[in-house]
Amino acid sequence: MTKLTRRGALTLLGASGLPLPALAQSGDPINIGVMLPLSGGSAIAGREVIQGVQLAFEEGSKDGALGRKLEMITEDDEGSPTKGVTAVRKLIERDRVPVVVGTYVSGVALAATRIAREQNIPMVSAGSTAVTVTDDNTPGNPWFFRGFPGSDLQGQFSGEDIVRTLQKRRVAIIHDNSNYGTTLADQINRVVTESGGTVISRESYNAGEQDFSPLLTRLRSQRPDAVYIGGLVSDGANIVRQAADVGLRTQFVGSGSMMTDSFITLTGAASEGFAVSSMFEPEGPNPVGNEFAARFRARFGGVNPSVHQALGFDAMTIALAALKRAGKPDGTAIQAVLKQGMPDVKLVLGPPGTVAVFDAKGSINFRIGMAQVRNGKRAFVDPPRQQ
Amino acid sequence: MSPELELFLQYVANGIVAGSVYVLVAIGLTLIFGILGVVNFAHGEFYMLGAYAGIVAVSTFGLSIWWALAVVLAVAAVLGVITELVLHRPLRGHDAVNSIISSFGLAVALQNAALLVFGPQPKLLRTDWSNVPVEIGPVFLPMQRAVIPVATAAVVICFHLVLRYTWTGRSLRAMAQHAGLARLCGVGVERVAIVTFIIASVLACVAGMLMSGVFLVHPVVGNMIGLKAFTVVILGGMGNVHGAVAAGLLLGVAEALTAAYLGNGLRDVVGFALVIVVLLLRPQGLFGRSVERS
Amino acid sequence: MIQRALTIVLIASLAAAPLMLGGYGLQVLVMILLFAVLAAGLDLVTGYCGQFSFAQGAFWGIGAYTAAILHRDFDTGFWLNLPAGALVAGFAGLLLGIPSLRLRSHFLAITTIAFQTLVFLGLSQWTSFTGGQYGLSVPVVGSVSVLGYEVAEISDIRSFYWLALAVTLLCLFIAWRLTQSRLGREWIAIRDDETLARALGLDATRGKLIAFVVSAALAGVAGVLVAHHIRGVSPDDFTIATSAAVVAMVIVGGRGTLVGPILGAAVLTALPELLRGAADFKLIIYGMLMIVMVTLMPEGVVGRLARRRA
Repeated sequence: MTKLTRRGALTLLGASGLPLPALAQSGDPINIGVMLPLSGGSAIAGREVIQGVQLAFEEGSKDGALGRKLEMITEDDEGSPTKGVTAVRKLIERDRVPVVVGTYVSGVALAATRIAREQNIPMVSAGSTAVTVTDDNTPGNPWFFRGFPGSDLQGQFSGEDIVRTLQKRRVAIIHDNSNYGTTLADQINRVVTESGGTVISRESYNAGEQDFSPLLTRLRSQRPDAVYIGGLVSDGANIVRQAADVGLRTQFVGSGSMMTDSFITLTGAASEGFAVSSMFEPEGPNPVGNEFAARFRARFGGVNPSVHQALGFDAMTIALAALKRAGKPDGTAIQAVLKQGMPDVKLVLGPPGTVAVFDAKGSINFRIGMAQVRNGKRAFVDPPRQQ
Repeated sequence: MSPELELFLQYVANGIVAGSVYVLVAIGLTLIFGILGVVNFAHGEFYMLGAYAGIVAVSTFGLSIWWALAVVLAVAAVLGVITELVLHRPLRGHDAVNSIISSFGLAVALQNAALLVFGPQPKLLRTDWSNVPVEIGPVFLPMQRAVIPVATAAVVICFHLVLRYTWTGRSLRAMAQHAGLARLCGVGVERVAIVTFIIASVLACVAGMLMSGVFLVHPVVGNMIGLKAFTVVILGGMGNVHGAVAAGLLLGVAEALTAAYLGNGLRDVVGFALVIVVLLLRPQGLFGRSVERS
Repeated sequence: MIQRALTIVLIASLAAAPLMLGGYGLQVLVMILLFAVLAAGLDLVTGYCGQFSFAQGAFWGIGAYTAAILHRDFDTGFWLNLPAGALVAGFAGLLLGIPSLRLRSHFLAITTIAFQTLVFLGLSQWTSFTGGQYGLSVPVVGSVSVLGYEVAEISDIRSFYWLALAVTLLCLFIAWRLTQSRLGREWIAIRDDETLARALGLDATRGKLIAFVVSAALAGVAGVLVAHHIRGVSPDDFTIATSAAVVAMVIVGGRGTLVGPILGAAVLTALPELLRGAADFKLIIYGMLMIVMVTLMPEGVVGRLARRRA
């Protein structure tokens, strides 16, 4: 309660323009900014990401950094660009954060990073996959960093895997109307056709839609070899469950967001054989990922981390490592470290040996694998090898 | 029977299942409006909380499905009383916009409270008979779907009997027709208001529980169902219960056929476009009589 | 007299705000200004003319997307987008105004909700035209030149704030003049008793349509501002939740007072910022506060004060 009042009072002071006591004096903690959708429609993902962020922060902030304590300041952007712009300005100016971990919705990340870049504050993506955000970077001098490939590459790999690894020719695509779903669908459409398959239909839905039975009933009459779903985990689970209800039996392939154990719990028997694009498996070939999964289970009551928690962990790990290397809590110095890359910072995402070295546009482009559910457990079909 | 026709019947069957839920949610909404003049924006949240109540009763407390139903009914009753105390009693005599804002605030508060209590992860009601298939001619439905129109029909018939033959039902109808006159004849307005809210809440909560085995439940699940219920209420004529029943089924089937033949992306557009057209041409709704109520 | 002095002091301190506030404070103020325009615009329709609308967020979005699409297709800048946004949104307002000629209260409210939802679905799904969920990029306002001389460079929050303040004051002034005009009195007459107004020979049809057009055009102006401010548009800002928030500002502040809705905009925009520390409970408190305010002061804060004074 005291904390709440104090913060409220500080904000009031700030908004009213009265001079604030300098917050970032030496001896004061260094604040690390986190920005995620914690309410609204994207909260389901945002609240998973933040668990990973939190674990990375707890582990990485034990001894402080640069002789000072570390504090994590979290802002809820509600998945809205205007709210996001306000949140990022608050983090940078009120809390004096030298680096921001965030955010999940790509449209919000884009709006926020333009503000952050002006203030010379780098951002590390906590889930936004759209290439529009990294494409907004000046090549060679990025301010927005993403520790995993964009959704264009995810679509590329999934498309290839559907035709080559899973050996499916006639593919139907279902995707939500979000940026994420649409990009993936575009890519799958192109790659499947190029790899010698045929896309027999393409349908969209609004994120959060409940009843998929008409769509799936029609798909049943088209007899696809595989159905690709580009969208969020709850919608994907609804689709796979309802497919069983309408008697559509085929190979379902899900986008990366469906890589979570809760998908299997929610869909039950219908999940058998389900394939999903996977950047991370708790028991995959990447030893760093395995160790993270073990620590995560210990910290969060035995629950296996999903891709969201894993990427949140990586994002905060990258931000803290860059801060420590930069030698001062300064955005420009941190960006210089990130730009140069940190080959000794190993990531939990990606194949074994994935490290925090970014390309000219601020992305890490590793091979994304495909996992499949067998007897209620997910495992890589063809594990991505060492880079 | 040609495969085309079989497919068509299957779409219609799916539409009726979805429409049944619209009916249950919309009846309460139209009742609250017709009798009390309150526009309840938090109605979708009744559905959401009913679903969660059933899931918690079954999966956390291990109750059987019938006991879970009792829990849902109890939760619904409490919810109905609270909502009446928040949305109706203190705002009586003010115009409907106040109740719109107030219920909007209630919806925001309930959604975020649900997010806090139940977490963001979607949940599902599991039962033993979930996947037993039911075949009616060429139409194939899993048991948990097939049971929905049947349960809806039972609930609607019960409700109809209550409305027709009990003292409470008669006072409700009297209030809907002429509040002032009803009061003169000794109808207790406050009692009627509470009963109305409880009935509306029970119907929506039962709908939520029925659907929680078919669709995933999450804190914002009420948004869309609430909007759909509004669509149904308008199409059926505001305050018109029988209109809501017909319009709910109609919307369910129309959406299923749109999704099947015109493209899935258009299904929501069709409903709302229909609303605007209907309001412009027949403001009293498709099934309403042309009476302007003051 | 006191009111005039207060207004001048308020405008002067708003104009001086960038000298004291950082970017975060200015960002919050910019959002307050934009919502003040939206709420004042809605007050013309709801408070003065007595017609309900839950579509102010849609008009806001139409203005913003007009700027973004004109920029994409014709490479236009802020100064052309501004009137264009007002024009397009105003035209959309005319379309929504037509049902208001036939429908009353709840029916109209629901129609506007359907309209708002359709606009949102259009923005998010008509990908080839609106960019869908990708949204579109919009440049900063950039240099402002008069007769070839560059007078200002508007690229940071400070200069943009002054621009937004100037445009907002202009919008509010227009709204205020309208309420004081003969048209404003016609609106009140229509609100209080439309049949009587018609009997007295007032053209209620024209009055209502103008209210809808002006209200939407003001929202369009705010939309162009937000597009150039955020430097992009995406559908997530223009939902029914935004529209409901604007209605709440009007109701909580006090409809039909113009000052009330502006105050409502300030309070309800700043409130979530003040509640940031409460994180998980932020929106629960916001929702409950809305209930409490409407219950205790159904005529709004300013409405209550005015009544007490009278």
